[in-house]
Amino acid sequence: MSKIWTRMGDGSAIELTPDELRQEIVAGSEDAADKGQIPALDENEIDKLVEIFSAPWRVIGVEPGHEVPLTKDETACTLVSSQLSSGAHLQISREDAVEVFERVFAFDTMELGWIDYSFKPAKPMVSLDQVAVERLLSTTIFPMLYGAMPNMGLYYTPDGPFTNPADLLPLMKMDEARAEEMNAAELCMEDMIYVCKRFDEIGADGIDFDTTASAGDADFWATLKTVEELKKTTDLGIEVGMSGEFILGMHGEVEYNGKRLAGMFPHQQLKVVEEAGADIFGPVCNTKTNKAAAWNTARAVTFVKEVCKQATIPIHVNVGMGVGGVPMFETPPIDAVTRASVAMVEVAKVDGL
Amino acid sequence: MGNEEFYKEAGDAIKACDKEKAADVAKRALAAGIAPDEILKKGFIVGITEMGDLFERGQVFLPELVLASDAMSAAAAVCSAAVAEAGGDEEVEEAIVLGTVQGDVHDIGKTIVVAFLRANGYNVHDLGRDVSADKFIAKAEEVDAKVIGMSALLTTTMREQKRILEALEKQGLKGKYKTIVGGGASTQNWADQIGADAYGEDANDSVKKINALLGR
Repeated sequence: MSKIWTRMGDGSAIELTPDELRQEIVAGSEDAADKGQIPALDENEIDKLVEIFSAPWRVIGVEPGHEVPLTKDETACTLVSSQLSSGAHLQISREDAVEVFERVFAFDTMELGWIDYSFKPAKPMVSLDQVAVERLLSTTIFPMLYGAMPNMGLYYTPDGPFTNPADLLPLMKMDEARAEEMNAAELCMEDMIYVCKRFDEIGADGIDFDTTASAGDADFWATLKTVEELKKTTDLGIEVGMSGEFILGMHGEVEYNGKRLAGMFPHQQLKVVEEAGADIFGPVCNTKTNKAAAWNTARAVTFVKEVCKQATIPIHVNVGMGVGGVPMFETPPIDAVTRASVAMVEVAKVDGL
Repeated sequence: MGNEEFYKEAGDAIKACDKEKAADVAKRALAAGIAPDEILKKGFIVGITEMGDLFERGQVFLPELVLASDAMSAAAAVCSAAVAEAGGDEEVEEAIVLGTVQGDVHDIGKTIVVAFLRANGYNVHDLGRDVSADKFIAKAEEVDAKVIGMSALLTTTMREQKRILEALEKQGLKGKYKTIVGGGASTQNWADQIGADAYGEDANDSVKKINALLGR
């Protein structure tokens, strides 16, 4: 029986028989269905994924007419820095890099962000970034967003004023840990609102909250409350992108509109993001490095398909290093990236990547 | 009260995160003639394993997991003391030194791994975040650790895991400790490349890998 060349979730090359490939896809989908308590992919969808992964070409694309917008998070650091996301370290400014994303790479939206890419360090630099975004608004056509991560961990010791829950929990100081998390969330929210309103002042098209909930449920709460405030008081378009497939319960009891945030899977995250008033949702599904790329893609597609089914706002799924079915490898292999992307469009029916 | 009821009560005490109850069930089960390893394996460990599964499904959360591991420690201490009293060798918890590597302050994943390992009866020395190679090695030497665990979230800090292994080699300590790497950017390939003994994909996997390294 002929073998199909494919990859593992860490990017290493493997070969599978068609039967093995199909089994991986079925198992990946069933894992998502079991974890998220959602329907697994049906036979037609499994067939489509088998077809996508069996394609003999290294790079594949969607059918004509099925193209979707590409939005870019993590700013233009990919081109400017040598440290972030396998950065190319080109001797160009962040503003130049944004224009390259529009005019060379044909992205449909873009964001500018401070190089540290978290709201806390961005706050003292906001005047500088205001100037940069303002200039880009006049030299680009695509929607120009400002992007950063809530990254609530920066509000804990050793980086911030509040005692780190990771230090309090092992001492069984649960109440103190929870209190510090909410203190950090309040301050994080204040900083995010301050920074975002400065970009509203200069006419930015929107804000991208990227990698939200990375510090757990209180981090997500801070983002939702910020979005709520911005929708009430500004005209900013808002995209909320996640950091993981379920909300880590560092606190465990934080609620938003009466719903406990901890443990939410993507389709549940969507609902609170919609309630907060966001305009675009970016779900994340984590890659397991010891499983095949086909298993990971099927799993991610199963989660995201349910998100798309329930969504009333556009869904722009995260497809990149270690998420959305893409292998966890610093320079994600293009064969795996295009297969995951096509699967998200053709099977999960996402609105954008 | 039959053995099965004791096993159930033991598992329930862990799932309820009830430290006093766990210790009490252990004492009563031993008094009823159940062997210490029986009540541990068939009762308490079943409970903590279920907590781990529920955590991975997003149905219990970190505070509960930490409390459950504390209850587990209380039950294990009662059982261990009973073994010693009966003239056996008191089971010594194997020491593990674990931390987030230098330059990296991401410690949420590491904290979860610590909770899982403690729940599984390991004596974990949590060094925290931004830990230098020297500190990892000094602590491992001090506590006679069996395993050194190194967490790194970032592609920019994972190279520090390699530096720790190189430092161990330089000091002639490479074979003395089993080594395991984990964190967002690490993979089995990376572990193989730098010569770590194991790679932990997540908290549950880390426990399994460390159990295997130590022949548990």
